[in-house]
Amino acid sequence: MRFEDVDFGQDLPELAPDVGPEAVRRFAETAGMLHPRFFDAEAARREGLPGAIVPGIMSQGILAALIHRWAPEARIQVLDTTFRAPLLVGSKPRCRGVVTDLDSDSRSVEIDLTLMNEAGETRVVGTAKVTLP
Amino acid sequence: MPVDVAELKRSWTGFEFDRVEFPVTAEELAAFARAVGESAPWFVDPGHPEFRAVPNFTTKYHGRRMWPPDFPRLSKHSVGFDAGKRVEVHAPIRAGDVLTARSQIHDIYEKTGRSGSMVFIVHRMEFSNQRGELAAVVDWRFLQQPDPD
Repeated sequence: MRFEDVDFGQDLPELAPDVGPEAVRRFAETAGMLHPRFFDAEAARREGLPGAIVPGIMSQGILAALIHRWAPEARIQVLDTTFRAPLLVGSKPRCRGVVTDLDSDSRSVEIDLTLMNEAGETRVVGTAKVTLP
Repeated sequence: MPVDVAELKRSWTGFEFDRVEFPVTAEELAAFARAVGESAPWFVDPGHPEFRAVPNFTTKYHGRRMWPPDFPRLSKHSVGFDAGKRVEVHAPIRAGDVLTARSQIHDIYEKTGRSGSMVFIVHRMEFSNQRGELAAVVDWRFLQQPDPD
């Protein structure tokens, strides 16, 4: 994907990431996030959460991966994500992105990012500024 | 007592309160990338000549303390929660780098929602490499709801 191939309003191909218990445990171990709220639904509920939750920075990394699937040589300069509501471990989320701005001088684009659960409820929103070849 | 957000900001922002070094290994770079679903060889294959960190790799690092000494708690009942992360990528992070992370409170601001006042505290970590180059800036927005009067 080169800058010339991108149009304003272009959708990135949707991604259905794995946030099952094994995937979340693998991420949490590599990120050193060993809090029970990421593995143990009962422990999470004692904190007032609806169940075991996906770490916010895992969701953020998944949204970066969405951009790299679309444009493998993209350089992400800024990635800003807001964790609106908990994403549950074992849910079936979908990630979407749409190009909202293009700057031909810097060959960069801005992308709005959304991560939703299977009910279509937004869990994480974000924006990215990305430079393309 | 309502929280004086302007006074909090004046008193607590803009000074370094923690500094930690993190040596970066090829194994942790590749493991983090795989765990978020990346597959490009420059993120997952340590033998690739352009092997480097994914953009939000530095979000996994934590300092020795979350807040400056004596930073006030706004609620007796809740520790608050992580409301978001903003990452600026300045220079590639590669295996063998030693990152120095400097922490400060970058901003404190208030929003009013349906459930009352929400105070956002922005904890900034600036990561520079062993050559003194700025590699990344991570802003962590932490939300606290002050106790009602």
